[in-house]
Parts: sequence; structure tokens; C-alpha cells
Amino acid sequence: MPSQDNSDDRIALLQGTLDLLILKTLVLGSCHGQGIARSIQRQSEEVFFVDHGSLYLALQRLEDKKWISAKWGVSENNRKARFYSLTAKGRQQLVEKTTEWERLTRAMRLILDGPSSEEV
Amino acid sequence: MFRRRRSTDDFAAEIKSHFELEADELQSEGLNPEEAYRRARVEFGSAQAAQERFYLRGRIVWLDNLLRDLKFACRQLISNPGFASVAIVTLALGIAANSTIFSWINSTLLDPIPGVAHTSDMITIMRGERSEHPTPPFSYLDFADLRDGARTFTGLIAYHDEYMTITGSDNPERIYGAVVSSNYFEVLGVRPILGRSIDMTAQNERLGTAEVVLGYDLWQKRFGADPSILGKAIQINLHPYTIVGIAPQGFQGCKSGLRSDVWIPIGMDPQVWGGQRIKYRDSLWLNVLGKLKPGVDHRQAENELNVLMQHLVKQFPEAHQGPNMISSDPLWRSPFGANVYLAGTLPMLLALALVLLLLACANVANLLLVRSVARRRELAIRLSMGASRWSLVLQLMVENLLIALAGGGLALLLTTWTAHGLSAFLPPTTLPLTVNGSVDRTVMAATFVISLLTAAVSGVLPALRASSLAPASALKDEALNTSGGIHKSRLAGGLVVGQIALSLLLLVCAGLFVRSLQSEQNSDPGFDPNHVFIAYFDLMPTGYSRAQGIEFDRQMLVRLKSLPGVQSVTVGDFSPLSFNMRTDFIQPEGYVPGKNESMEVDRGVAGPEYLGTLRTALLAGRDFTDSDDAAAQPVSIVNKALADRYWPGQNAIGKRLQVAGHWTKVIGVAANAKYRRLVYDAAPLVLLPMLQSYRTDQILSVRVAGNPLSYASSVERTIHGLNADLPLYNETTLAANMQLGNAFERIEAAFAGSFGLLALILAAIGVYGVVAYATKQRTHEIGIRMALGAGKRDIFRQVLGRGLRFAGFGLLLGLMISFALTRYLHGMLYGVGTADWLTFVIVAILLCVITLIACFVPARRAASVHPMQALRTE
Repeated sequence: MPSQDNSDDRIALLQGTLDLLILKTLVLGSCHGQGIARSIQRQSEEVFFVDHGSLYLALQRLEDKKWISAKWGVSENNRKARFYSLTAKGRQQLVEKTTEWERLTRAMRLILDGPSSEEV
Repeated sequence: MFRRRRSTDDFAAEIKSHFELEADELQSEGLNPEEAYRRARVEFGSAQAAQERFYLRGRIVWLDNLLRDLKFACRQLISNPGFASVAIVTLALGIAANSTIFSWINSTLLDPIPGVAHTSDMITIMRGERSEHPTPPFSYLDFADLRDGARTFTGLIAYHDEYMTITGSDNPERIYGAVVSSNYFEVLGVRPILGRSIDMTAQNERLGTAEVVLGYDLWQKRFGADPSILGKAIQINLHPYTIVGIAPQGFQGCKSGLRSDVWIPIGMDPQVWGGQRIKYRDSLWLNVLGKLKPGVDHRQAENELNVLMQHLVKQFPEAHQGPNMISSDPLWRSPFGANVYLAGTLPMLLALALVLLLLACANVANLLLVRSVARRRELAIRLSMGASRWSLVLQLMVENLLIALAGGGLALLLTTWTAHGLSAFLPPTTLPLTVNGSVDRTVMAATFVISLLTAAVSGVLPALRASSLAPASALKDEALNTSGGIHKSRLAGGLVVGQIALSLLLLVCAGLFVRSLQSEQNSDPGFDPNHVFIAYFDLMPTGYSRAQGIEFDRQMLVRLKSLPGVQSVTVGDFSPLSFNMRTDFIQPEGYVPGKNESMEVDRGVAGPEYLGTLRTALLAGRDFTDSDDAAAQPVSIVNKALADRYWPGQNAIGKRLQVAGHWTKVIGVAANAKYRRLVYDAAPLVLLPMLQSYRTDQILSVRVAGNPLSYASSVERTIHGLNADLPLYNETTLAANMQLGNAFERIEAAFAGSFGLLALILAAIGVYGVVAYATKQRTHEIGIRMALGAGKRDIFRQVLGRGLRFAGFGLLLGLMISFALTRYLHGMLYGVGTADWLTFVIVAILLCVITLIACFVPARRAASVHPMQALRTE
């Protein structure tokens, strides 16, 4: 069992990315938590391991922010599940967060690829 | 924030659904159902932790814990009503003692001018020697010059207050009122609720305008709150005044504890009380208050006034022969008004109440300790379940806070009733006294703070001690139920010792105050207060001339003396021990005063046979007679103190004595009598004959056979036979009228006494509680001892000895504390020293006996234990 402090650290570390990943997954249509976890893992070619506890808390957080909405429904294989879908606000956030993320990665890449060979 | 929170159950259901969905998927990937479900759970990690985090999300954790602790504490207290109510009542008594006295301090010392919110930048100004009963220290001309010259003040105001009578209607009413300087209302910042304040143009201040501002209460009572009264005339002491304003409710002038009903421009003084004192630089009759400019220190102001005063002394040396040193006081201990007495009494009572509260705290701490022993099992289990010591302490403190707040609430409830109790200690008087307390926001806040402190003081040590147990041994102890627990606690012993010490301190204070009051009341006042009927009247509103007034007095005295049962009768401008003695400046023949020596002495105006009627012994010469009148040579009677001071070793009879500028011949020397206060040493006094120094405001004294009050109707009839319209006030006995003279000593004795009694009860309960509980805990041990051959007597002696050890340590500590602290009572005690050994011994013996009794019951119970039964209690 991870200690409280540790998991808090992880949330902080993953918060931004996890939120973005969830929003991106939901663009394709409403989905339940387990489906979102699977989808993220699959699409990242199993690089990301999603901590499920954090995922559900992130979902709750996004719901609290009204970026996504949730509704109990029935899955394809007839299981009761809580389905999440993007709200208009969530869609807008997705666009903003994606741009932000792209700027970040671009900047990172510039630094990592750039003329840093003087030191080497 | 206001949307419905998602429940933890809903969240748990979602996680469960996750397991199922995941298991389904894993199954479809080829795992068997059991393995699939297991994998799903493993991959998820701790669902518990996720749920916990969901629960904690958005909560303020400590508040959550506190609420939980609070709920638990409530349950604990409700499940233990006996403990809870004893603890709450004990603390409520202690807190109520403090909040009550604080409520009195709050509305007297902390609110010296009701109706004026900010008085911290105001000072009263005193000139000459300091005294508890100063005469107003300034003349009008000096005041006006100081006011014009002073730069450190926003304003200097002056007033003189005295009785007046509303005349000109069928029901004359005696009121208390003041003549005030023109800037009075402006500097105080008091705005009339109707009309305006008195005319402020300073040019005509000395001549005055015939106008008056009415007090709110007078306006309500006499004029039915009629707003159209403005502009109408009212007659005061036979002179008409235009009503120009109504003062706001609560404002009563700026002499603490005395209510004025009207304010008249200072220039009208000759019309109000007669005389031309406003014209003279050596007539001292004004009280002066100053409002300091922002940033000015009272010392700077004092210095400036002293410089200005020295100029005046140089300029007018004849008019400034006494001491001219100027000093100032903050209003809470202004020597003018009731605060000068309260400033000594109330803080001391608050200190005693604090000691009482400390004692109550010790009692409750003891209760908590006993209870924590009973709760060891619960606490040990919680500790071994992983609760931190801190959380246990917090839990116990929350319980204790609850008790203290309940006690505080109860105390506040009590205070709403007791706050008005101060005036009940003041005997009926003609003085318009408004000394009392009330519960306002400050008192509530103070009670709350006291409650918090109480919780901390009574709870911290027991909580720390209770939470310091080692869970394993505590549980084992509990399981085996061996003798253990409180009797080993040094804390419990320390608390009992502390309780005995504190109650000794309170009892010693009580003893000292009671003995002081006793010796005061047993002291010889120098007159006989029994069998004397008195009544007040004022001839001013009758419109008599001086000659007519003197004639009225002569006839009244003759007629009253002829009434059956009347032995002698006289009048005076004062009555003993009722705060109406005045002073004057004297110049004895052949005596050269030192530089700046104060020649101010007590001065009474007395009718014929004054000393005889009061039965003050005449040491030499004769009493006043009805031939000491305006036609005869001016005479005076002095007391022994005056004769001894100014004419030591000489015969005072026949000496010449100047009083207030007039030479008199001394015709009698009276024994020293305590006309002012019983606790004062005899001070020089001069008496002037009423028929020569006529005063309209008089007090009649009639010495009779039997009950003085039964003469009231015949005295009234006789006086009304001379003037049917003359109202008599305050018809009472001399003995009753002088109760006010030692009211504060009686308040001190009453409170110190009842605090002492409470302290004794609390200490007895404390000792009994600890010894009884310790003995009960040791039943097992006692059983073993007895089985091994110890006799009843041994057990009895052992338990009793333990109690006596507490008593011994407690008494020793208490005596040391008392010796160290009672010397601060110096100056409040009369006829008894602060280290009065008799009081100390009696109190120590009393406490010893009470402790013995408190130990005796548990000791006998212990001795009567049957060994078999004791061992079987396991």
C-alpha cells in the first residue's frame, strides 16, 4: 500500500498530463473509467501505466470543474458503469491544454536538440 | 459548493464496476474468472486508499477531526452526566465570580463617563495634595486662564455639581445638577438628541445665559418625553431657564457614578446657588477635566499646566497661598466621584475571584484525572489502534473545552442577574449613585476568553497525563484489576496540595477583611449614632432671605425640642459618614504655615447643641448655642486634632482662627470624631455656627427616646406648621444613613468572605475526592494487608496520615503564599495587620480540621473493609 505522501506526489506530477489524456480520450465519445484507463494504456503503446486510484480521482476533479459530465449507464457487456462525456467547457479546455502542451514539448525539444554541445 | 456532494458509496460502486469490467475484459483475453477478478484488483492498487482520498478530497481535515472529536466529547459527557454536571457547575461558579466583577469594572472603571465612548485621552486635573475626598480644586478665573493658555489640550472643561430643586410648580423636585463651562458638551463630544447644547460663545460665559440642557431621564420622567418642551421655561432654585436641549440617553455628566439631571451655563452660578464665587480667584469650586491633543502625553500636559499655574501664582500670590502643584489622573481612578473608591475595591475583588477560579480549575483537573483513570482502557485501546498521543490529548482537550464553555455559558446566565447586584450593596442614599454593572459585548467576550483559559488551565495537565500511559501495561492493569492508578499520581497529590494552599490564601484574605470590618464597626466613631432621626431639607427654593432662614431654623428647633420624647435637636450642613463633609482653608493664630503647606481642613456648619445632640464629647469650652448668631462675635469649635496640630501644648480656647477668610474665636474643643469615614484617622476639623455661617441646604438631627423613625410624622407636622410647602428628603435614622460610609468595606468583606467559604468547600471536596478515590483503588491492597495481619487501626491511620500529609504541605505552601501576597492589602485593612497572626492561625486550624473530616470518611470506609470481600472485588 503506497503511503499517502507518495501518492500525493504522483498526483501532482501527473495531474496536468492525466487530465489532458482523459479529455483527449473522451473526444471520441463517452466512456467509463475502466475504458479510459485501457484506452490510454493501449494508445500510449503501454508506456503509461495509469494508477487507477488517481484516474478516478482525476475524473472526479474534472467533473467537479464541469469539464466532463457523468451518468450511470450500462456497458456493452451489460455491466453497470459510470459513463463520462465531454462538456462544451471541457472541449474548450482540451483545445487550450493541447496548445499549451504542444508549446511545452516544442520548447523542450528545442532545448534538447539545440546547440548544447559546447559542454560535451 | 452548494451542489450535492457525490457520496462515497457511489464512488465505491464505480470502483466495483471497474473491477467487473476489467475482469470481463481479462476473461475475454483468456483468464479464468477467479484469476481475472484477482488481477483486476491487483492492478487497481489499493481501492481503500482511493476511497479514502476521495473522502478527504475538498475537506478541511483538522476541522473534520475537530467535529468528530466534538461529537464524541458530547456523547462522553452525556453518558456521564454526574461528572459533567459537577465539573460544569464548579467552573460556572468560578467563572461567574470573575465575569460578575468584571461586569462591574467594565461599567464603572472602564466606562467612566457613560455616553462618551472614548475617554482614554481624557484626564482629571487635581491641584494641591492628593486625597480620596478632594474639594473641587480650581477657581473660575484660574480655570479660564489655564484653558486659554494650554496648548496640549483639545479642550479643558470645568463643572460644579450639587443638589438643586425644580421650583415653580406644585411638586418641587430635588435633583442633582451641574453648572458647566461653555465648551463642556463640545469637548466631551456629547450631542443633544433634541435642540442644542448650551451657548458656546465664550464672551458671555462669565455672565451666563439662563438656559438649561435636561438629562434624558428627567425629560422622560418629569416631562413625559415631550419634544415640544424645547424653548419652554423651567424654574430651578427660583430662577427661570429656557430649555434648549435634551442630553442623549445614558449621559449623566462626567463625575463617575453620580447622575446629574440638568446642565446650566457656569455663569449662572450666582442664580443657582447664590454667592459670587465666580468672581474670585481664591474661591475653589470647579472640577476640571482635559481632553489631550493626539500624541500628547499626560506628563507633558501636567508640565504645561504647572508652568501656567506658576505664572498665575506669581501674578496673584494672595489668591494662591496653598499648594499649587498640579497632577492628573486617568478617569478610571479620578479622585472625583465613585471611581476613587471602586478603583481600590474592584480590582482586588477580581484578583480574589481569579484565585477562586484557579481553585475551581484544580478541582475540575482532579475530577478529570480520576475520570481518566476510569477511562484508561478506552485510551489504551485507542493508542494501540494507532491513535497518536497528540490526537488523544486533542480529544481530551475538546471534552474539557466543552465543559468549560458550558460552565462559561452558565456563568454568563448568572452574570446577567448578578451584574446588577453591585447597587444592592450600596445602602439607600440621597446621592444620585449610578454605580452598577451590566452584561454587554465586552463582558461576553471576556467571559468567553476566561472560559477558554479555564479549559486550558484545568485540562492540559490531566490530558497530558492521561495520554502518557503505555498501552500494554494499561490494558494488562485493567485486565488484572490490580491496585494502581491515581494514588501513584504525583499530579493528583500536587493538585490537592495546591487546592489547600489556594483556599488558605482566600480564607486568610476573607479573615483579614472580616476582622478589618469588625474592628471598623467596633471602633468608637466619636459620636452616638443610635436614637437619632435625620431629615434633609433645602430652604433655597422657599425664597427666604438669610434672616428669614435663620428665623425659620430658630423656631423649628424650639418647636421640635418641645415634642414629647425629643431630647435634643440640631441642624448642620453635613451628617456623619455620608460623604457630605466639606473643607475650607484656615489660618490659625500664631501658626506660620510652611511653604506650600496645605491649610485645607474639614469644615462643618453646625446648629446650636450640635455636639450635644450627636454626643460628641466636649473636651474644653462650650457647644454652640442659639445666641451664637449674626449679632454676636464670630465663633468656632475645633476638634482635638486641629488644636494639637496648630497649637500643640497650648489652650485652644480663646485663640483666633481664620476660616475661609473670616476670623473667628475658638470657644470649644471637641473630641476627635469620625465624621468622614470610619477608616480615616482623625483629621483636623472646624465647626462654624449655622446662625452665623448660614447655609440653606441643611440636615436635621433629632435625638429621641425609642425608635427614631416613629418620630417622622410628628417632625414633619411640626416643620410643615412653619412652612407647609417645604419638602423633607431622606427621612431616616443616623445609623442607617451612615451605612454608605463603609459600604465598600462591607462589599470587600462580603465578597472575600463568600469566596473564602466557596474555597473551603472546593478544597474539602477536592481532598475528599482524591483520598476516597485513591482508597477505593487500593481496596485490593488493603485487603492483602489486612489478610497479612494489619489491624483496622493501622489502615485507618495510614489513610488519614496520607490526607494529613496533603494538608501539611498545602498549609505550608499556603502560608508562604499568603504572607507574600497579603501585604498588597495594606491600605485596605483597618485595625488589623496584613500579617495578622490570629487570622493565619485560625484559618490554618480551620483548614486542617476540614481536611481531617474530608479524610475521615474514606479512612473509616477503608478500615471497615473485610479482607475476603476486598480480595474478591477483583
